[in-house]
Amino acid sequence: MNTFLILLPLVLTMLYSLVSVPVLVWMERRIAALIQDRLGPNRCHIKGIRLGGIIQSVADMMKLVFKEEISPSHIKNKFYYLVAPSIAFMSAFLTFMVIPYADNITINEKIYHMQALPTDLGVLWFLAFAGLGVYGIIIGGWASHNKYAILGSMRATAQVIGYEVAMGLSLVSMLITYGTISLNEMVTYQSQSFSMIPAWGIVLQPIATIIFIVTAFAETNRAPFDAAEGESEIVAGYHTEYGAMKFGLFFVAEYIAMAASGALIVTIFLGGYQLPYLSTTDLINHFELVLWLIIAFTVVSSLIFLKWMRKHNIFAMKGLNETKVYTTIIIVFTIFAIIVMSYYALGFGHAGAVGVMILQFAIFTVKLFFLHFVFIWVRWTLPRFRYDQTQKLGWNILLPLSLINIFITAIVVVGVNYGN
Amino acid sequence: MGIKVVERHGNTFKEKIYLHAIFSGMKTTLKHFTANLSDASNIPTICYPEQMPTDITPRYRGVHRLTHRKEDDSIACVACFMCATACPANCIDIVAIAREDSVDEKMPAVFNIDLLECVFCGYCVEACPCDAIRMDSGIFSVIGDNREDFIYNKEKLLSIKGISEEEYSLGK
Repeated sequence: MNTFLILLPLVLTMLYSLVSVPVLVWMERRIAALIQDRLGPNRCHIKGIRLGGIIQSVADMMKLVFKEEISPSHIKNKFYYLVAPSIAFMSAFLTFMVIPYADNITINEKIYHMQALPTDLGVLWFLAFAGLGVYGIIIGGWASHNKYAILGSMRATAQVIGYEVAMGLSLVSMLITYGTISLNEMVTYQSQSFSMIPAWGIVLQPIATIIFIVTAFAETNRAPFDAAEGESEIVAGYHTEYGAMKFGLFFVAEYIAMAASGALIVTIFLGGYQLPYLSTTDLINHFELVLWLIIAFTVVSSLIFLKWMRKHNIFAMKGLNETKVYTTIIIVFTIFAIIVMSYYALGFGHAGAVGVMILQFAIFTVKLFFLHFVFIWVRWTLPRFRYDQTQKLGWNILLPLSLINIFITAIVVVGVNYGN
Repeated sequence: MGIKVVERHGNTFKEKIYLHAIFSGMKTTLKHFTANLSDASNIPTICYPEQMPTDITPRYRGVHRLTHRKEDDSIACVACFMCATACPANCIDIVAIAREDSVDEKMPAVFNIDLLECVFCGYCVEACPCDAIRMDSGIFSVIGDNREDFIYNKEKLLSIKGISEEEYSLGK
């Protein structure tokens, strides 16, 4: 139990970053398709099971892994050329390590942190590694020895320098508000509520929220700030000379960086793993009631999903009957989950702390995937900013705005503390 | 004639902070997303090959066919070589012989179209004086195992049915 609880956040970090990449690629494709009135990839299958198209992104990843590794002969600095994608990947991956997935859990009077890296310096770690991730792009573009690549990496550099300032300053105003740099304490702070309004970061600091979300988009080089890989003018930008899994690492790093930024936005601005109005102790004390609500939710949602699936899963592939397989799996899983949950809900066993921990994982996951949806949704709505517009927005608008926000926040915080 | 003054946009405060326009754009895309997610049957995507396209008209330039005469169902082609001359891809190969049944003077002994060379421009159809060659078969997908499968001979071309109401040649 000891080792398990220490390893659990590490395993979750792997799940949220590495394992979720195929799911994110799938979400990206299917959501883009549905937004543009298309269907998206839905053909790739294993024995007739398509999982709604996820198999397609798994197949793409396999292709990238097994493709021949080619490095162009004109490249002088092979070491930097090869190390660049790994830097991008590693720093995106390490950013995730400080996100709290659930509240600290106390078992046998011992406190376990649900962070992969149990440190209080969460925000600083995030800023350090989010900034380092761009080094992968810069080195990759420079080592490629290619005009398009170096143009792309220069754009990325200039953009990151401009936006990292505004990002740090918007975080400073959040630090002043919460009075801590520990991410877990920030989430605990957000479990309060001011007369029916939950004290989430987005309510306390709407301007800092907008600045942070915009800069997070720029930091992860996602649309509308993806001028670094503007395919209309500079081929593919910094990864023009990369192929096979070297490109794959850049590709995966982009999605992990997006996931990490999403996780930080959830933690700082959207209440982290908390439900509004309910603190961790409230949840543990009323755990039976919460379980009954979850059982009802499980039944209703699986019924709705079954109805939706039967309506839309029309064309079967060769092999197993997909609709039948899914229906069986969902019904068996729902019944199993109901039996397990009612065992605890009826009071036969006590799983308060662990149960709440699992619930908080689930809440965090739901919020995180909502953020992923927002990232994808914005990408397929907004056109790419022109390069000078990006710079103007960063330096002329976001930077002064975040400075003003810090002043106002500081004055309000000092005033409130003085009043008390 | 007056001068039309076009109102410039983008100068009000609401337009300058972008956010209003961004959120209204996101509203539009979200509407598409939710509508398509809840009912995918409105998506115009055709799930080929389970679903076949329904909008192939007689004027669609598909695989060629040779038409028959209405009177005796014999071949309408008189082997005048107009189509082979008009063809920019040089994919039509005709060998002419004299016609013995006094219906006409000449007919093709060999009429081969190499579909791997054909560019489906339709010039042969326009050049034909007898309405003997048409591209109204509606066939848009040609498959074969080897190169010979794509050379359609006279018998094959005569056996293809058209999708237009005019089955027989209207020529002469």
